[in-house]
Amino acid sequence: MVSAATQSSSRRRSGNGGDLIVLGIESTAHTFGVGIVSSREPYILADARRQYKPKSGGILPREVAAFFSSVAGEVLEEALAQAGLTVRDVDGIAVALGPGMGPALRVGATVARALASRYRKPLVPVNHAVAHIEVARFVTGLRDPVAVYVAGGNTSILSYSEGRYRVFGETLDIALGNLLDTFAREVGIAPPYVSGGKHAVDKCAEGGDYIDGLPYVVKGQDVSYSGLLTAALRMARSGARLSDVCYTLREVAFSSIVEVGERCMAHTGRDSVVLTGGVAANKVLASKVALMAESRGARHGTVPPRLAGDNGVMIALTGALALAHGITIGVEEAVIRQRWRVDRVDVPWYPETLKDLSSG
Amino acid sequence: MVSRNPEGLVEWVRSLPLASRGAESEIRVGAWMGIDAVFKLRIPKAYMHPRLDYVLRMSRTRREAKLLAKAHSLGARVPLLLGVFPSIGLIIMERIRGKVLRDAIREGSYRAEDLRMAGEVLGRLHDGWIAHGDPTTSNYIVSGERVYLIDFGLADKATSVEDLAVDIHLFRRSVESTHAVQARDILEHFLDGYLEAAPGLGERVIERAEEIRLRGRYVEERRRTVWAG
Repeated sequence: MVSAATQSSSRRRSGNGGDLIVLGIESTAHTFGVGIVSSREPYILADARRQYKPKSGGILPREVAAFFSSVAGEVLEEALAQAGLTVRDVDGIAVALGPGMGPALRVGATVARALASRYRKPLVPVNHAVAHIEVARFVTGLRDPVAVYVAGGNTSILSYSEGRYRVFGETLDIALGNLLDTFAREVGIAPPYVSGGKHAVDKCAEGGDYIDGLPYVVKGQDVSYSGLLTAALRMARSGARLSDVCYTLREVAFSSIVEVGERCMAHTGRDSVVLTGGVAANKVLASKVALMAESRGARHGTVPPRLAGDNGVMIALTGALALAHGITIGVEEAVIRQRWRVDRVDVPWYPETLKDLSSG
Repeated sequence: MVSRNPEGLVEWVRSLPLASRGAESEIRVGAWMGIDAVFKLRIPKAYMHPRLDYVLRMSRTRREAKLLAKAHSLGARVPLLLGVFPSIGLIIMERIRGKVLRDAIREGSYRAEDLRMAGEVLGRLHDGWIAHGDPTTSNYIVSGERVYLIDFGLADKATSVEDLAVDIHLFRRSVESTHAVQARDILEHFLDGYLEAAPGLGERVIERAEEIRLRGRYVEERRRTVWAG
């Protein structure tokens, strides 16, 4: 869909006095977000979003889609009001077409297609995982890092090589966020999964200590969490102190993904690492990544909580980079891609970030 | 010079010249009982709980030494084990001099035969039901006419075809991620050598490795339906 044929050699420039202004739409999982960015300071012009929070149990895709449909209009209006712009003022509409949940993705894609055709704006396809890396490179200023990408549905170690972000390691089964959420739900300490900026497992781990007995699985550059989940649940149900189980579960899960990140740094020779994705807001994980980097004499950065979770800003930001490199898509081609792997996406702008777009 | 006190031994090893630093260990070089040797010392990880760190370092050291010795007895080209001290995370082994396969590939100085031999080493291990755990191109050393597999840090006894297939999957991924352009050629020669050393079993392992690849999250081949947005 996004082929070299759609790329032009000349940079696209806008009617905004050399600035590029892009509106981005995120709807891959539980958050419907609209962000607006400019290639000139202050870069982020708007960041509006609504998050679907289940009252009980996990996330049901159809319910999320219904929720997104009901809030899409007001989120869009809120973003435009924050930026003091109308859709006519933007140079392009970026949309996360995947990966994610089909019904949820469809809402964002529908809104994006409608805006692009109604206002005759170029439509820019954005991969959600690429966007998490781009926002990390933008806010940390680390241009060529190993990326530790941890979220509810994703856990991978990524690094740029030969035109694309490559997956150096990932979970062989469930994602880190999923591990923590499922454990919390099964032992009855969630929902709510996060309150006061802390995950239920983190709260439970306070006052806990490390105990032996949970499996630590790193296979080469991959981790595996499903055995850990089963063992932790068994341990919790057999009468071990829940705070100890939570502490140990978190210790094992976080240490193993950080170890994979460390392996990737050793393998690729990179001297910086960024932590991104919804679970990046976790302070314990961030401090582990920092300690790992410092012990290697490497630099490190973590995406601040506001931009770590799913948001429209990172989609707009990535869309701006893509648009500047002539990557657009016809409205009729803009179909969702639930399993769109990060390593299928060309990133010709690398190692540029949004801050470089105005200088040309 | 070397006392029986493990802490003293750590001190002495750390005085040797550092050859490289891996993700979890320091590799130092020196002489051990007159043999040109590599000293692999697992260093404590600051980001781990001390107890988890100690348990992992000790068990990995012990397991690595055991499997390295077993691999050697299977006729696979691996360094000879010279000594092991689990409580301090130290393994001493024969030093293999040569060029890391990853660098040989990057420089274009590798031969098809090197890759065939790389596959052969893994095939021999698998034929003895040992999974290496990290068979990337950075863990192969081209030494003259021979190719050695090093770093048994993540090796384990295999109990299923799946365990072995993960090795093939990891090798394929390391090739695709670091040598994307030459990947097809590299894999072809590698698998030729692998199948020669592990006849019968090897085919089942490769088949299973393909299944693992398709199982990976968001792999497009797994998708049966193209959803229209």
